[in-house]
Parts: sequence; C-alpha cells; structure tokens
Amino acid sequence: MDLPEPTGPATAAPTATATSVAAAGAVDASKLYGIGDAQVRALDGVTVAFETARFSAIMGPSGSGKSTLLHCLAGLDTLTSGATYIGDTYLASLDDKALTELRRTKVGFIFQAFNLIPTLTAEENIRLPMMLGGESGDQEWIDHVVHTVGLGDRLRHRPSELSGGQQQRVAVARALASRPQIIFADEPTGNLDSVTGSEILSFMRSAVDDFGQTIVMVTHDPVAASYAHRVIFVGDGQITGEMSDPTTDQVIDHLKQWD
Amino acid sequence: MSAGSLIARKSIRARWGRTLAIAFAITASVSFVVGSFVLADSLRATFDNLFTELNENIDLEVRAAQEFDTDDARDPVPVELVDTVAAVDGVAIVEPGLQRYAQLLDDDGAVIASTGPSLGVSWEGEDGIGGVTLKAGSEPDGAGEIVIDKATADTQGFDVGDRVDFLTDVGTFEAEIVGLVGLGDADSFGGAQLIAMDLATALERLGANGNVDVIDIQLAEGTELTTVQRAIADVLPPRVEVVTGEQVAQETSDDIGEFIGVFGTGLLIFAFITAFVSAFIINNVFQITIGQRLRELALLRAVGASGRQVRRMITLEALGLGVIATLLGIGGGVGVARLLIIAFDAAGAGFPPTSTVLAVRTIVMAAAVGVGITMLSVIVPARKASRIPPVAAMRPEIGFVAMRARRLVGGVVVTLVGLTLFVVGLFVRPGGTTGLIALAGGGALLLFLGVASLSSTVATPVTRVLGWPVEKLLKVPGALARQNVARAPRRTSSSASALMIGVALVSSAAVFASSLRASLVSTLETAISADYIVTDASFQGLSPTVAGTLTELPELAAVTPVRGIAGQVDASSKNFGAVDPAAFDELVNADTRAGSIADLGLDEVALQQDPASDLDASVGSTVDVTFQNGVQRTLTVAAIYAEATFGNWLISLDTLETVSEAPARDFFVIAKLADGVDAATGDIAVREAMEPFPQANVQTNAEFRDEQEGQINQLLVIISMLLGFAILIAILGISITLALGVFERTREIGLLRAVGMNRRQTRRSVRWEAVIVSFFGALIGIVVGTFLGVILTVAVPDDVISELAFNPTIVVAILIGAVVAGLVAALYPSYKASNMNVLDAIATE
Repeated sequence: MDLPEPTGPATAAPTATATSVAAAGAVDASKLYGIGDAQVRALDGVTVAFETARFSAIMGPSGSGKSTLLHCLAGLDTLTSGATYIGDTYLASLDDKALTELRRTKVGFIFQAFNLIPTLTAEENIRLPMMLGGESGDQEWIDHVVHTVGLGDRLRHRPSELSGGQQQRVAVARALASRPQIIFADEPTGNLDSVTGSEILSFMRSAVDDFGQTIVMVTHDPVAASYAHRVIFVGDGQITGEMSDPTTDQVIDHLKQWD
Repeated sequence: MSAGSLIARKSIRARWGRTLAIAFAITASVSFVVGSFVLADSLRATFDNLFTELNENIDLEVRAAQEFDTDDARDPVPVELVDTVAAVDGVAIVEPGLQRYAQLLDDDGAVIASTGPSLGVSWEGEDGIGGVTLKAGSEPDGAGEIVIDKATADTQGFDVGDRVDFLTDVGTFEAEIVGLVGLGDADSFGGAQLIAMDLATALERLGANGNVDVIDIQLAEGTELTTVQRAIADVLPPRVEVVTGEQVAQETSDDIGEFIGVFGTGLLIFAFITAFVSAFIINNVFQITIGQRLRELALLRAVGASGRQVRRMITLEALGLGVIATLLGIGGGVGVARLLIIAFDAAGAGFPPTSTVLAVRTIVMAAAVGVGITMLSVIVPARKASRIPPVAAMRPEIGFVAMRARRLVGGVVVTLVGLTLFVVGLFVRPGGTTGLIALAGGGALLLFLGVASLSSTVATPVTRVLGWPVEKLLKVPGALARQNVARAPRRTSSSASALMIGVALVSSAAVFASSLRASLVSTLETAISADYIVTDASFQGLSPTVAGTLTELPELAAVTPVRGIAGQVDASSKNFGAVDPAAFDELVNADTRAGSIADLGLDEVALQQDPASDLDASVGSTVDVTFQNGVQRTLTVAAIYAEATFGNWLISLDTLETVSEAPARDFFVIAKLADGVDAATGDIAVREAMEPFPQANVQTNAEFRDEQEGQINQLLVIISMLLGFAILIAILGISITLALGVFERTREIGLLRAVGMNRRQTRRSVRWEAVIVSFFGALIGIVVGTFLGVILTVAVPDDVISELAFNPTIVVAILIGAVVAGLVAALYPSYKASNMNVLDAIATE
C-alpha cells in the first residue's frame, strides 16, 4: 500500500531536525474511551514524530495517556480521530490483514511482562515472527542477535525456567531479530530490579547505537528515560514538553515542575 | 515447520491435563462407536462362517416353498420324498433333516437348561454332509441310543455309556448316550443342546407325523448343479422347492444379520449420544483454555500472527488431539468388542472361534466421529480466538469483551427449530422410520443445543437459589461456592449442559417406560380375564401338548393357545393369530364392536377395527388371503373388535389346521379357573399338570404383570447403563471445567488462604461448587427430558401406550445421583485447590 509521503506531520513535528527522517509519528491524535459521563479522553490532539535510529522515551504519570499513545502508534489500538503512521504508511488506511503484516515485518514489541509464548523455548520465541511469516529471515543476523542475548544453553529453556531479566532479554532479541523499522517498548523494565533493568536498557541502547535500530519506549522511570536520546513528556493526553540527551536528574527536575 | 503447527504441538504437550481429558472424551466416544461396529461385524462374520460351514457340503436342499418372506417356520415335507429325490440322476447322498424340540432331564426329572435352543435331530451319519463330527463313541442306532453334543456332555458331566431321560413334544423317553458330537472342530453347536437319534426313532419320538423339515442333497462327482436341480424340481410335488445350499446359507445368515444389525444400530445410537456429549465437553474446555491463553494469543497477534493464523493454530491443536484420540479409540473399540465377545462366550453363548472384523467403514466412521466432533467443537472457540485484538496482550479485559457472543436469540431459535423437528418427526412422520429417527433425533439434538445455550441466561438466578441452602449450611465456603457458580453463568451452563443431556435422555426414557408400564397394567386388568398365562421359556414355542393337557384339567373352565401364521392381504404381510374362539371370548375382553368372536368358524376371520376400516370391511365381507406356504383362502369377516393386545387378525385353530402343516408351536396359552375352584386348588392342579413341561412357564395374571413390569424396568436400566458412558463423560467435563476454574483463580484462592481460610474450607467450597453445577444440570435435564418424554409418549399409538405416567422415584434418584456426581467431579479440583502453596499462588500473574 503506497501512500503519499506524510509531509505534513514531518514538518509539523516539534523537533524533527533537517537531517533526521521520522520513523513513526502521530498527527492530531485523539482517543476516547467509554461513553457519556464515563468518557475518558486518553489522547487529546497529540502531534509527535520519532526519528529513525534514535532511542526515544515517552514519559508521564499513570493515566497520562502514554501507553495509549504507544499502542496507537504501533497499530495495536485505533484512534478516535487523527492519524498515526509508521514510515510512509498511515495506519488508519490499513485493514486487519495489512496491519498484521505491518506488525510482523516492520514493528517489534517489548512489553512490561508476558512477552513470551510460555510453551515455546527462548530460541523459538526469538524466531517466532519470522516463522509466522513463513520466512527463515536473515540467519546470520538472527544468530548474531541470539548470541548477543548471552543466554547460552538456556536458549532451549521455556520462559518459566528463566529469570525475569533473562525473559526480557529474550523479548528484546525477538524484537530485534526481524530487523523491524521500529521497536515499541511498553515499560520494558517495569518488572525488574534496577541492576537487571539497567542491563536491559543498555542492551536496547546499544541496539540503537550499534545497529541503527529505532526504539520508542514508554516509561515512568527517570533512570530508564536517561538511556534515551530524547524524552517526550505526556500529561492529560497532551505533549507537555521534551528533552534531548536527558540525564536522570534533569528528568526528575522536569517532572518536579508539574507537582 | 510452520509456526502454527509448532505452537499447536507444543501446546498439546504443555497442557497435559487438559489434553488427556479431551483425549479421554474423544477416545471413549470413538471406542463406543468402533466397539458397536466391530461387535456387530464380528458376530455377523462368525455366523456367516458358521452357516457357510454348515451348508458347505450341501449342494441342494429340498424344502417347502414360501409365498413371501416371513420368519414363520416352513411346512415340512413328506419323508417319502427322500426316496423320490434319491432316485434322480446325479444325486449321490440324500440326508433328510428333522429338527424338533428335545431337552435332556437330570436325575430328578428337571430339565437341563442350555444357553441356546434345545434341539432333537435325526442323525445324519458321521461326517455327513451336515458337517457333524463324532468326537467320541459311536453312531446312534435304534430306539435305545442317542448321541449328544460334547459341550453339553462336558458341562453336565455326561459320558458315553450313561443312560439319560429326555423330553420331546410327544413325551419323555430314556436312552443310552452312545456318542458325543461336535460341529467340525467345535464341541458346541453355537450354544445349542443337541440330541440326535436315527431317522426312524426321530420320526417317532420327535412327533414328526411322517414328515421331515428338509432333504439335503450332495451331488455325484462330475454332475452339473443346475441340471440336477432342474431334474429334482420336475419330480417334486407342488409347493415344494429345491434350492442351492449356498442360498440356504445366505438366507440364514441374512436373518441373523438382520437381528445383529438392529442390535448394532441400537448400540450405535448410544455411541453417538456419547459423542455428542463429548463434543460439549471438548467445546467447553477449548472455550475456557482460550480464555486462559488470551494474553498469549494476543501476544502472537502483536508480534505478527494474523487472525487466520491464530485460528489455524487452535484448529491444528484440535486436529492433532482428534487424530491421536481416534487412533486410541479404534484400539479401545476393538478391545471392548473382543472383551464383550469373550464375556458372551463365558456366559455360555458358545460362539465358534470369532475373528475380529475391523471394516474400512468402521475406521471411516471412527475418524468422522473422533476428528469430526473435535473439529466441530473447536469451530466457535477458534473463531473467537482469531478475534482477540493484539492490544489484549496488555489489556486482557478488552480481549474478553471481544470474545463475548450473543446467545439468547440464537438459543431461542435453535430450541424452537429443534422442538418443531422433533414434533414433526414424531407425529407427521415423513419418510417412514428413517425420517422419524432423523427428524426426531436431529430435533432432539438441536433442542439440547438450544437449551444448553439458553441455560446460561437462567444459570445465575437458578444457581443462586440452589446455592442458598449451601451458603446457610456452610457459611463462608458455601457462599464462595455459590458466588463462583453464579459469576460465570456461561461456563456453569456449558459444563452443566453435558450432564443435562444425559439426564434428559434418562428422564424421557423414564416417562416413556412408566407410561408403557401403566398402559400394560391397565390392559392386563381390563382386557384379560384369564387367571393363568403360560409362556414359553425355550424360545421355540410351546408344544401343543401343553394346551391339550390344560384343556383336560377339570379345574380350568376355558383354555386357548395362541398360535400364529403369516399371510398376505393385498400384497402386504399380516400376522394371523389362531385361537380357540369360544375360550378366547371368555378369557379376553376384546371389546367386540360387531359380530361375535366366540362363533368364529372355519374360514372366518375376526378383524381389529383399524385394519377393518382400512379395508372398508364389515361383518359379512370377505378377505382374500395367501398364507406363507402358498395356500389361498377367502375368509369371511365374522367379528370386528377394538382391543389390539392379541393382534389385529384372528382365526380359529381349526382354520389354521386346514391351512398349514408346519409343526404347531404356541406363543403362549391362557386359561381361566372353573367356577367354584379357588385359586389355591387351581394353582396346585395347573402347576402339577405342567411339571412334565419344564419349558412351560406358568404364571398367574398378577405374576405375569409383575414380570412384564420387571422387563420394562430392566429395559430402563439397560438404557440408563448405555447412557452411563455419556454421563461419565459429563461428570469428567464438570471436573475439568472446575479444575480449570481453580487454576484461573489461583491467586484468589491464595489470597483467601493467606487471610485465614483453611484447607478444609477451600476443599469444601470447590466441592459444593461442583455439586451446585451438577444439580443445576440435572434439574434442567429432568425438565427437558420429562417434556420430551411426554411428547414421545403421546406420539405412540393408543393401543400401545394409552396412559401417561411419571416416575418420581427416578427423579429423586437422579437428583441424589447429581449430588454424588458433583462430589466425584470435585475430587481432583478440590484437592488441587487446597494443596496450593499460598505464597506461590499469590505471586501468580
């Protein structure tokens, strides 16, 4: 499905520099849940773009709409109005089949928990997206990724036999294995202790720095955000600010402004 | 390998408990289906072999001709024909066959029972063309000698040289056992007791009146069958025919095959019911496990699986299970059939060595049932699974909303369509018996499906009521049980539905049986004024001597045997009952509408009102009848009556005698005490007179009624036992559902344990949850089943069932059974729930 270049959003994106190309973004995106009095405006006219080969973080308190934004960007959920795009493809124009294809080939996911199919081994989980497409993928690359995970013979174990950190490593490796245009991570370290968490975050950052992978991550942890090239702050369904090459302290200071 | 099949395979392996449970349900159903087929096929093959072997050396057989196909015995042929036939060119050996009733007596003069018929036959010569072989001793020669079958001799402790008494239609005789015989290699004649004597003795002692049943013929070498057959046909008198041995074997095995076919079909119906119930369970289990795997499936969607891939994966999983279970089921079915044959044999059926016949058709049916029900059961769950949106990986609640379906409208429609088909099938009956079974059966299935889906709407309120006493009695565990049942109405209703079907079938059978019994009792009370009913315990019909002896008793006023012959009227076959008209009129209140049965004379017929109106006949009109042996008569209608208990066509014994020479056999004899004779005196006289006839079973009117009621009860027990398989699977279903529910609530149970609920209370709460579910299923089953039973009973013609009756005892028994079933079903899940590690349980995601 070929669509015209989304010129509007690219120029409208707040900090898109002249040299970087947007890997994904949203234009005037709104999302409503429920009806009548119970209606909640999870996203309220968000326009944002994320650059290729960069590690971006979306931060905000609980209920700020950051997860909804991520789900809509990734094509997991649909908007009430507005648009989201990945590369040059508007998601709203895709049917379920095309969305599935997009998720399989162009998008990788890392969730907070329950990232892996419990009945498959770690290695099978990593190869899953390629198997679903009936392709064998780039074997050399996959072997490389599998090696980078550093699980050794635990690759033949089921998720229940791995520690939380090991499970998340497998999840990151799976996301990397199909060389997607973009990886979305939803609180990937939310369930981990700080040491294991920073291991995973370094792993993700190196994927961006070494392989040119694009990653967009939702988090509420300033430490996690400090691993990103850029942080977008979200509150009440709107973009409230952003920061480049943030440190933990800068993020904390920024968050304090709201309180 | 594709991702779908990999995940399917892994999933089957990883969820062993569930896999085993589903596999068990499928395997049991398939075993039942395969067992029914294999049993019927094997028995058929066995009898085919037996008759082929029996007739192996018979090239031709001379016998009385029959006008049309009937189960009636053929007329005999005169023994003089033996010489006539022997004189025909090309005939090498001629063996007259004579077979009548004869039974060995023990030292006290009591009859020695056998599991099969008791036969007296004429000796055909060792290694004669009949295939009989002498196992010990010598051939019988003269009036003082007999040979008996070796199997009976072995079980009864007889040997060559023993002197024994035996009973025939014409009296009791004594003879020496000079030899033991068998059939080919076998010691037994398919369970029959056999006494053989030479032809002259047999003609005299078996009461053959100078006739033999058939004449078997073996041809000389080098002669042509058809030539000789034609030559013999030329010398035969009218109404006697000559046929090939092959044809005789075929006819005999067809007769048996028909019986086996009915028996096999009966079993199959129950096998399919079992399969239907299994489908419910499998569907339910898939439904639940898909709910449990919601996040996993959503994750698959998130990483790029299409909805179709998810559906295919679930379907593949089911297919794998179905195939494995079908294979196990085929093995199991063959095993069950073999065991049954061995059991029959042990019970004395005396089957010749049977081969196990696994026909291609059986395997096809097994696959259709095993794989078929699994695939059908998984259609809906798989489609629901494919609709789970990827976002449910993070927000499971969205996934559950997507899986919900509307059931109320569909349920009502399916129920109504089912009910309509059922009623149309029973009352309108398009397409004869096949149409009836297809429509009524299909209608009942749809009705069950509809009710099952509707029951989820009433599940919550009804189970709340059912749970109320449990809560009052058990406090907190009871309240938990009650709430857990009510909070998942869909699951409650689907796991209860399997039991509902089993219970509904038992309940409708109960209504039918009670009504049948009530009708029978009222018929026996109003229509039959006989004091004694003498029935036949030998399955061969009573010797006419029995009726003769009773007629001579001064203590009895009226006695009539009931005999029969088949005849054709307007090219359709009718069964004519032959009675002593005067006695019959005194013994039976036939509700005569015109004319008089008492005066029924030669060449006259009494007609029941239904055929009378069909033929537009009234007293004085004539009916042309062709009897089975070819004799044609024009009968005058002498009476028209309403009571159909003794059949629709009655003629006098005198008329029968002029029509047929076939050995007279009475179905039963009815008699009445003379005026002024009290019951005690009459009883002694009748039973004394019947002592020489051990095959005559003397019963008073009340005893006869009790026995008939007993038989109806027995039928109900057999039906319930055959439904037992389905009920067992239903209980298993409740157990699986409950276990899956416990697994789902791991965290909740952990929490309850953490805040102070002890193991016993945990067990109790799960146990009573099961009881409420099964009680609910039984309750709906009783309501639906009773309703169906009433329709079924009303649909049966009034002359079979005239009254509607219910059986409260069975209802109570079912409800008690349901409580027990619930307790049994809860054994494993309650153990599982109470033995959780509290900390692990709370930590579960």
